[in-house]
Amino acid sequence: MIGILRSVVVGFILLTIVYLTVAMYSRSVRREKLEKAFDVGDIDGDRDTYIKDGMQEYEHGLKRRLLWLIYIVPSAIVAVTVYLVNYQ
Amino acid sequence: MWKYAKWTFRIVVVLFVASFLHYTLPQHDVVRITNTYNRLTTVGAENSWAYSVPDTGTAESATQRDIRFIDAAFEDGSVIVYRNEDTGWVWPPYFKYDSSNLQAEAGNLKSTVAAQTWVSVTHYGWRFPFLSIYPNAVNVKQVAGPDVQIIPWVNIVVLIALALGLFMIRRMWQQFWERTVEPAVAEVGETWDGVEASAGAAAGSAKGVLGRLMTWFASWGRKSKR
Repeated sequence: MIGILRSVVVGFILLTIVYLTVAMYSRSVRREKLEKAFDVGDIDGDRDTYIKDGMQEYEHGLKRRLLWLIYIVPSAIVAVTVYLVNYQ
Repeated sequence: MWKYAKWTFRIVVVLFVASFLHYTLPQHDVVRITNTYNRLTTVGAENSWAYSVPDTGTAESATQRDIRFIDAAFEDGSVIVYRNEDTGWVWPPYFKYDSSNLQAEAGNLKSTVAAQTWVSVTHYGWRFPFLSIYPNAVNVKQVAGPDVQIIPWVNIVVLIALALGLFMIRRMWQQFWERTVEPAVAEVGETWDGVEASAGAAAGSAKGVLGRLMTWFASWGRKSKR
């Protein structure tokens, strides 16, 4: 039983590291896209405001929420593996 | 000389990764189970890496264990011996804790040369007689005959996922250099230019060294501009 707890804790820490790095990357890509879109020159208004609004939209958007799959998919894979190896 | 060292290092890394994957990923043998038994087995320093960690339940002591084994024969008459141990909860990630059941299933599927029953044994690991190591059986399943082809779906999916993961890490690293490190380096350069202007000619030689160092650092992460 201790083994299960230990791997849950270790797995959670590892996935959190992955989640944080991927979240940082995703945010950085989004900001770069917004900057480039503005710098093309078709958009009126302040550059910083445009980027800030775009980032706010991203923070509440679907793509941001999909990052939770970083926790969900590996957990599902472990559950399926446990089932296939032990209960089939 | 440097070129040889670099290539040797690369080849060693590739070989290490390949053998690691070959050891860990599941493989299928189509065999006939001939015997199942327990044997008190000595696990030493040289081969303990190929056995389960001591706290998994089927492995109580670090040096001597009562391990379940499954003997099997291939169609061509060559033989293979599998061990049947729980894997524990961390590595390798099979999360196997039904060794007793597996031993019972294997015993049930035993067959003789006269009346043959063929099974597909899913296993990982290697059989090296001189190290006394055995692949660990994970699953047994009865199949129609010795010629059955098994598609290694798990390996296909895992290898594709690994390749995608490496690609993502590379992309993330490039993004990090382009967006974080290169701007920081540029800023250091600008600050230094200011210092140099006020400090006069004495700083000239130092800037040469630092500037070149920074350019070199920046060149690590240079990304092809889209």
